[in-house]
Amino acid sequence: MENKKQKTVDILKETRKASENGKIRVKEFMGIKKKIKASLKLESKTIPQIIDETKLDASFVTYSLMTMMKYGDVQVDKIDDDDEYYFYKLKEVK
Amino acid sequence: MDNQDKVQKFDVMVIGGGIAGEEAALNLAKMGFKIILVEKDYSIGGKMVHLSKVFPTLDCSACITTPKMSETTREPNITIKTYSEIKEIEKSGNHFIGKIIKKPRFVDEDTCTGCQLCEDVCPVSVDDQYQYDLVGRKAIYIPFAIALPKVAAIDLDNCILCGACEKVCPANSIDFTEKPEEILFEVTSVLIATGFNLFDAGKKVEYGYGRYKNVIHAMQMERQLVPTRPFNTVLRPKDGKSPDNIAYVLCTGSRDKSVGNPICSQICCMYSIKQAQLLMGALPMADVTIYYIDIRAYGKGFQEFYQQTKDMDVEFVKGKIAKIEEKEDGNLELFYEDIENGGKVKTAEHDMVVLAVGLLPNNEIASVFKDEELELDPFNYIKQKDKLINPALTSIDGVFVAGTAASPMDIPDTILSAGAASAEVAGYIRSLK
Repeated sequence: MENKKQKTVDILKETRKASENGKIRVKEFMGIKKKIKASLKLESKTIPQIIDETKLDASFVTYSLMTMMKYGDVQVDKIDDDDEYYFYKLKEVK
Repeated sequence: MDNQDKVQKFDVMVIGGGIAGEEAALNLAKMGFKIILVEKDYSIGGKMVHLSKVFPTLDCSACITTPKMSETTREPNITIKTYSEIKEIEKSGNHFIGKIIKKPRFVDEDTCTGCQLCEDVCPVSVDDQYQYDLVGRKAIYIPFAIALPKVAAIDLDNCILCGACEKVCPANSIDFTEKPEEILFEVTSVLIATGFNLFDAGKKVEYGYGRYKNVIHAMQMERQLVPTRPFNTVLRPKDGKSPDNIAYVLCTGSRDKSVGNPICSQICCMYSIKQAQLLMGALPMADVTIYYIDIRAYGKGFQEFYQQTKDMDVEFVKGKIAKIEEKEDGNLELFYEDIENGGKVKTAEHDMVVLAVGLLPNNEIASVFKDEELELDPFNYIKQKDKLINPALTSIDGVFVAGTAASPMDIPDTILSAGAASAEVAGYIRSLK
């Protein structure tokens, strides 16, 4: 059964190459995910605080952080005193 | 003879699995007709399933749509083909014959349980088209939370062929060798319910959509207002700030000859007013300003809904927006003609702008009719041959149209239109017997 499971992707690989765009996006996402995780390791932060620390493009940080939240890597902690920016923290792995 | 054996026969082909297609298919199925419903997307539900609430009642849109989707999939007289494309339709006597291509999703629809373990292990992240690019999705993914069928699909154009999904799938449902399936059909009648296309906000270059991240379009705001939203609440896409001064720009891509769409889209005023009310609930401290040319609150309860929104302190400014510029902090400066105060050009600053994009015709289906021309009206919607008496009739005998494939309309009118179309289709088929 294990052989059969492995087989279909290998069969496709004989006639089709992996997506170049897919490879770029993996690299990009893995890179920013690593930086965001490192930034949130010690304490929860707002998006502008993450941007300040990582020097990454603002909208890309928001997009990536929200994607990480969608897939359960981060969660909302609290909102700041001015009710403007949320603090995000790493999701605890049980 | 072989081909003849393979031909699948139905009474009606319904093209499009949105609210109009579902409504018409269910009506006809309940009358005893055999239906094949063809949907180009991975799931039925159309655009309505992605909306937050409907106007003017503020009923939950998904709560109305999902039971209908479910009923459609369970109805024994309806055969659904999702992720399928009609290649050709030809008239043959009193029938239509043709070909559908069911495209491969590389996941077995019968065995996939929708567990999403494959999504967890997929390393790819690309824009999620069902969240209007506000967040990412994986290369293997369940299209959206309430998709029907709830089956994963592989986006091969972005897949790196790592095989992680295949390894982890507990139901052995992944099949990278899946090929397109050709389906030959014969039907007595065709009902077109292909809906509309959304105006591409990027075409109004002066509004900065795409360049300025805090300029979003109305479907992106709609997604921010639903429970299955991309963000934890309504936020600015540029920096995650909770907005407190939001502007709506009505008639973006409607009543505008410069973008080739001179007609009113019928729904933008009301959906903007609805979103303004929802925003007042989601962000009680926020100011909302709606810049309009005219407010067209023409339906039952619409005027009262508009008045109620004004009473909630949503500001309405009669003014055409000329251009939008971004400031350093991500706020946006709007330049507009203040029509009610002498027509002077004024400026206003907001921290988020929503473009109320209009509807465009979706007439691609016209090209699949091989021997007869499916005529379009002057605005490129499917032409209604007899708009007042038989609104579903098209230029081809036996081919009918329902919903926004025929013209812009709101959800109640779409459902009414689908009801009328199903009655006309039933009458047509019975007249042949």
